[in-house]
Amino acid sequence: MNLIINHSSIQPIYEQISVQIKDRIIHGELVEDTILPSVRTLAKELRVSALTIKKSYDILEQEGFIITIHGKGSFVTSANQAQLAEEKKREVEAELEHAIRKGRSCGMNDQEIEELFHIIMEEP
Amino acid sequence: MIRLHNIKKQYSQFQLQCSLEVPQNRITALIGPNGAGKSTTFKTILGLTHVDSGEIELFGKPILTLTTQERAMLGIALSNSCFCGYLQIRDIIPILSHLYPKFQKEYFLQQCKHFDLPLTKKINDFSTGMKAKLKILIAISHQAKLLILDEPTTGLDVLAREELLDILREYMIPGNRSILISSHISSDLEGFCDDLYLINKGKILLHEETNILLDNYGILKVTKEQYQKINPIYLTRKKKEPYGYRLLTTQKQFYQDNVQELIIEKCNIDEIILMMTKGELL
Repeated sequence: MNLIINHSSIQPIYEQISVQIKDRIIHGELVEDTILPSVRTLAKELRVSALTIKKSYDILEQEGFIITIHGKGSFVTSANQAQLAEEKKREVEAELEHAIRKGRSCGMNDQEIEELFHIIMEEP
Repeated sequence: MIRLHNIKKQYSQFQLQCSLEVPQNRITALIGPNGAGKSTTFKTILGLTHVDSGEIELFGKPILTLTTQERAMLGIALSNSCFCGYLQIRDIIPILSHLYPKFQKEYFLQQCKHFDLPLTKKINDFSTGMKAKLKILIAISHQAKLLILDEPTTGLDVLAREELLDILREYMIPGNRSILISSHISSDLEGFCDDLYLINKGKILLHEETNILLDNYGILKVTKEQYQKINPIYLTRKKKEPYGYRLLTTQKQFYQDNVQELIIEKCNIDEIILMMTKGELL
């Protein structure tokens, strides 16, 4: 799979794995019906515990990116466009939230943040 | 695969009292400082020491009722035991073939070659690392369902450790197997085992999945003033430091989200052992 894990990152390892796999699905590198490596195989490859991989797969399954068939393995599902759009929207939302939190933590009030937002929106 | 329920064993200076479970398809680690009871627990599981009370089951059966065939499904490496030092690998192959109906001679020879273990040299003349490798190879060469490995990586350099762990990871791929392992080298365990038990003074202090330990647990470094104000709900241990306190939390996310300007570190297994055994209970 050639995933890269950053052990010194504060981001949990299972999240790093699920995000990277999701990225590949969104960008079409992993297409529908591709079989993912088994939990133990990927654990061996990445040298992380199998439960970590399982957690990543569970998240991907919950979000509808893969489906696990017992005894057969995990497969990439037909990611529909609405779902991908939803995913992107969530990313943007997270970044906006981050910006707002930063604004508040350095003492800006909501009105100031809103003003900034509108100024940026009006930029071409 | 393994179930210890309320085991009690009284020695003159030491009492072992624990419950532990290793399900199928799981790598479980037993960690703890020297003299914590790790090897005693291993001996107990194998029925090598008598316990005062409690139940011990392997493969769902009390250990004393296991048949010879069921015992052959175990692969074992204990810390101070190996074949007689006057033997050579060449000599132990027929012994292994007779002991284990499923002994895979070809695989064993191939792995010996891979690890540069000479077939015609007395085991006494082996280096520590060679002995350690031989023990693991013996344990995994007969399609065992369950491996019980007491400090298998002790005395090995980083390259050999990684090679051995890779062999064990490969061993797990069929999916119906389990490993119980103890080790002093916690970096080995972080990327290897699925869950771990921390034992100290004969008691289990902590049982947690490795990914939860590494992802959710954390170390907070706080000054005395910060310590007065902090919400202690997810703190489990504290340790005094020159600057104030070092705190072990089970939910670092909570403090990341709720407290500003706090030093929060991801913690490793060594740190958890240290805090759990030396820290003050909160």
